Amino acid sequence: MLSCHGLTKRFGGRVTVDDVGFSVGAGEIYGLLGPNGAGKTTTMKMVCGLLAPDAGSITIAGRPAIGDVAVRALVGYVPQDVALYPDLTARENLEFLGRLYRLDRRTLAERVAEALELTDLTDRKDDRTDSYSGGMKRRLNIAAGLVNHPKLLVLDEPTVGVDPQSRHAILERVRSFARDGLAVVYTTHYMEEADRVCDRVGIIDRGRLVAEGTRRELVAQLGAHDSIALGASGDLDRLAAVCLSVRGVSEAAAADHAVQLVTEDGRGVLPSVLEAADRAGFAVTTVDVTEPDLEAVFLHLTGTALRE
Amino acid sequence: MRTALAIARKDLRQRVRDRSALVVGLLAPVAIAGLMSLAFHGVQSYTFTLGILDLDRGQVASAIVRAFDEPAVRSVVTVRSLADERSARDGIARGQIAAALVIPAGFSESVMGARPEALRTLSSDQSPVAAQVVSSVVASFAAQMDADRLSVVTALSAGAPAKDVSHLAALASGLRIPLRSVVAPVGAHELTIISYFSPGMAIFFLLFTISYASRSFFVDRSEGMIERMRAAPVRSAEILVGKALSVAAYGTASLAAIALVTSAAFGASWGAPGPAAVVGLALVLSVVALTALVIGLARSGRQADAIASVVVFGLALLGGNFFLVSNAPPAMRQLALLTPNGWALRAFTDLATIGGGFSTILEPVAAILGFTLVVGVVAVALAPRAVER
Repeated sequence: MLSCHGLTKRFGGRVTVDDVGFSVGAGEIYGLLGPNGAGKTTTMKMVCGLLAPDAGSITIAGRPAIGDVAVRALVGYVPQDVALYPDLTARENLEFLGRLYRLDRRTLAERVAEALELTDLTDRKDDRTDSYSGGMKRRLNIAAGLVNHPKLLVLDEPTVGVDPQSRHAILERVRSFARDGLAVVYTTHYMEEADRVCDRVGIIDRGRLVAEGTRRELVAQLGAHDSIALGASGDLDRLAAVCLSVRGVSEAAAADHAVQLVTEDGRGVLPSVLEAADRAGFAVTTVDVTEPDLEAVFLHLTGTALRE
Repeated sequence: MRTALAIARKDLRQRVRDRSALVVGLLAPVAIAGLMSLAFHGVQSYTFTLGILDLDRGQVASAIVRAFDEPAVRSVVTVRSLADERSARDGIARGQIAAALVIPAGFSESVMGARPEALRTLSSDQSPVAAQVVSSVVASFAAQMDADRLSVVTALSAGAPAKDVSHLAALASGLRIPLRSVVAPVGAHELTIISYFSPGMAIFFLLFTISYASRSFFVDRSEGMIERMRAAPVRSAEILVGKALSVAAYGTASLAAIALVTSAAFGASWGAPGPAAVVGLALVLSVVALTALVIGLARSGRQADAIASVVVFGLALLGGNFFLVSNAPPAMRQLALLTPNGWALRAFTDLATIGGGFSTILEPVAAILGFTLVVGVVAVALAPRAVER
């Protein structure tokens, strides 16, 4: 759905985005992960036609996007800062934005109702948006990006400043958009968000895309493994031996009232490990699975921790 | 065009919802035009009450009193007889009379001598013009007296018998040239103050649209709405056209409403509706061009405010929205014709006084459109950058 190659943008003498390329398929959520100032928003603005790249190409649904205003009808843009008219109601905001896509009256009414429904704002549709909570504004901000039924949804840090409950709702909604076949580009500097919603992640730092892949692929680049700590009583050396016999467990050792296991896929082998321990007569009291996360990947690739 | 209309419709909805639109677009101009009309009421037709204290009661004194009863003077001066000087001073202090002419006892007798008694005019700082009018009438009377006396002396010197002096004097006074000075307006109707300040204030507040609209553009931009519009399949030009349409619609509605209200409430004359509407539309176009220019020149809302203030007050001052241009020095009258509002005011006052139809407004409308074209060309070059910035 989206294909970018060699995107480069300079402001003055400073290169903000440097030779960035990635692609996103229909039904896929692509996360662009990086600290503030890494070039995520600039990249998104180029994708949405708001900034002209100094070099590179962008293709949306097979059509070259740079300089083609009509292609923008395929894109839903949700900017980082809430962009709505505070003195208009939710419905009026969405109707106005829908008219920019030249929707006829009937289609517009349907799309507005649908976008409000998707973001759980139907009940408040006739309230002015300056009376909305921060979370509601964020949801309406997303609804505004959906009113044109886009093929590609670009979400630029949509959960900044949102309470955990609203954040959860937004992330769930984003997943449902992808299930409905939308290609989603999701920029964030929240590691757990990228981990939770994105099918693939591109790590961007100082304008360069330093790595790209699924979480597992990125973690694999580290050469790190998952670990499982099993708390139990009895002969822990024997329990370690039992666990080592389970397929997928590469190391097992008893230490401090627990058995430490090393595996490629902690969550995957855990049921087999617990079953083997039970068969051997061990009562496992605690389980702790540790997986290398994107934070570790980012630290490994950039030499710095991901800052908020 | 559909998207431009959508933008204009949205802008107008916001403008109408903002109560200040009603204040700036209708209430304030009407109220200020009314106030200015009151403030300048009477400037065109000056009248006052003069007290005359005739302590002489002689022939010449009576002739002076009669001089204030001449038709030309009577239209300006209302005469009231006074009993004594104290009542003259009290009357002036209380504002019942603007000035008092005191004719001293023995004045008529003394006029024939070498050292005639002086006439005194009592007045206050509140009405200096009244004292000047009294002095002028008395001076005019004295000049006529001198002329009569000269005639009599000339006749006597030429050998006329001395016993005929009275007859000669009566004859000389009867030979006055029947000169009459009448003030009449050039046009079919006299320009009233309200007919000047109604369009004056309407135009002044119309100019404020430049400030409001340019600020609103930068508010849209800072809130990410311009970016959001650009993320849709909308060209920068369409955004600007939409904004321009809303300015034009609001400005036209405001001018029309003020014209209707001031005509109905104060009897202001805006001239024939058709030509007046054409002048109004031409002026609205110039306001649209000026708004686009301010948007193109400014880089932020604050800058837009500053530039718009200079433009609005500069044009209003030069164009004569606060004062009668016809009373201004020639240089100011010329400067007023460099502004679209100056030309519009001229067109409205011409329509109100000279009357006529489209031929009356041809020159002003051409000047306004010329101004709009020049400003518009610069604005078209600058404004799209502001959208994409």
